[in-house]
Amino acid sequence: MKRLPKSAVLTVGTLLAACMGACASTQAPQELTDARSAYQRAQAPGGMAAEFKPDQVHEAKVALDKAEQSFLDDPKDQKTRDLAYIAQRKAQLAEASASSQHALSTKEQADQDAKRATKGQLAATGQMLASAGQALASTQQQLETEKKAHAEAEARAKDAMNRLAIAGSKVTEEPRGVVITMPGGVLFASGKDTLLATAQVKLGQVAEALKTQGDHKIVVEGHTDSQGSDTSNQLLSERRAQAVTTFLVSRGVAADQIRSEGVGESRPVADNASQEGRANNRRVEIVIQNIENR
Amino acid sequence: MKSVVDRTAIALAIVGVVGVSGCASYPVPNTKVASSEAAIRAAHETGSRDVPQAALHLKLAEEQLEQGKKLIRDNENERASYVLSRAEADAELALALSRAESSKAKAGTALDNVRAVRSGAPTRN
Repeated sequence: MKRLPKSAVLTVGTLLAACMGACASTQAPQELTDARSAYQRAQAPGGMAAEFKPDQVHEAKVALDKAEQSFLDDPKDQKTRDLAYIAQRKAQLAEASASSQHALSTKEQADQDAKRATKGQLAATGQMLASAGQALASTQQQLETEKKAHAEAEARAKDAMNRLAIAGSKVTEEPRGVVITMPGGVLFASGKDTLLATAQVKLGQVAEALKTQGDHKIVVEGHTDSQGSDTSNQLLSERRAQAVTTFLVSRGVAADQIRSEGVGESRPVADNASQEGRANNRRVEIVIQNIENR
Repeated sequence: MKSVVDRTAIALAIVGVVGVSGCASYPVPNTKVASSEAAIRAAHETGSRDVPQAALHLKLAEEQLEQGKKLIRDNENERASYVLSRAEADAELALALSRAESSKAKAGTALDNVRAVRSGAPTRN
């Protein structure tokens, strides 16, 4: 094997050493590597920095170019590290500013959404209130109409009652309702349950008054004095109450609105010892019941 | 031979003078001191100390500002200029990071409000 001349070996060795030295010297400092990465992130298409802060991304690029140039001029110069450090911060600044801008845009959008939603809800509530107001007005009008009709009915009823009082019946207001008391002597002959002719005139007036009482229930009660047996008095009172009821129905009072009841001598209003007291106890009471008493 | 020695001495003297005057001619970076300090102040005012990542960069900025001032005292103005630029870059980043944090918080509140309005719950401000 032929040996290389000593000078040739020396030349090759020098070249290798020079090449290795050159390779070692071109390795970028950490700051420059970091700056390159940071810039790559910042300028990435579709990224927030590229979208919201292109001017700051550009500034980062200019700073990075300076660092790269410095690196080419003198790879080991501290200046390269400083410029790369600044370039990295500028790229990070672009990203942070873009993130802030993006958040503010989100906030603005959310505020508008909230405003729209609130406005919509207010409109809906307003519409609901308007409908409720209309319904209330309608109800109030209805109530007024009913109140007026009720007052008119009351007036008519009172007028009818006044006429009854004039006709000789006693009209009183009691907890159970309005009570029309007609003396037994006016309606029936003693011990009988057939209505006298004069009674029919008075009961006709009563029937006219009762027909104005709307849906009030009416009870016709027969009462006697204490003369005679309890049983006979009970039966007589029942028959008299029924006779009055039948007459009133014949004069137009609704049959399902009225009923008769015999009370006998059990509820006297005066002393049965005197003749006058007994006359008062012989009576027919027509009770127009209160609505709430049913 | 003597003339060669003389010429070499003159050349060295020129190089020396140029070198010394080169170092001495770099101006004191007073503007950079001021701008770094202003950036640091602004970062403080936006609450950078309360945001961990921003606080880190603020601390770096403060340290580099001190280092820059020391370099100026040591007449290393050029090096000081770069260090002060680093300080300013860190302070600006701290400011941006704290602003981003604040904006994100506001956006979060606004989104919560939208959800609350849509669900009929009370809103936050």
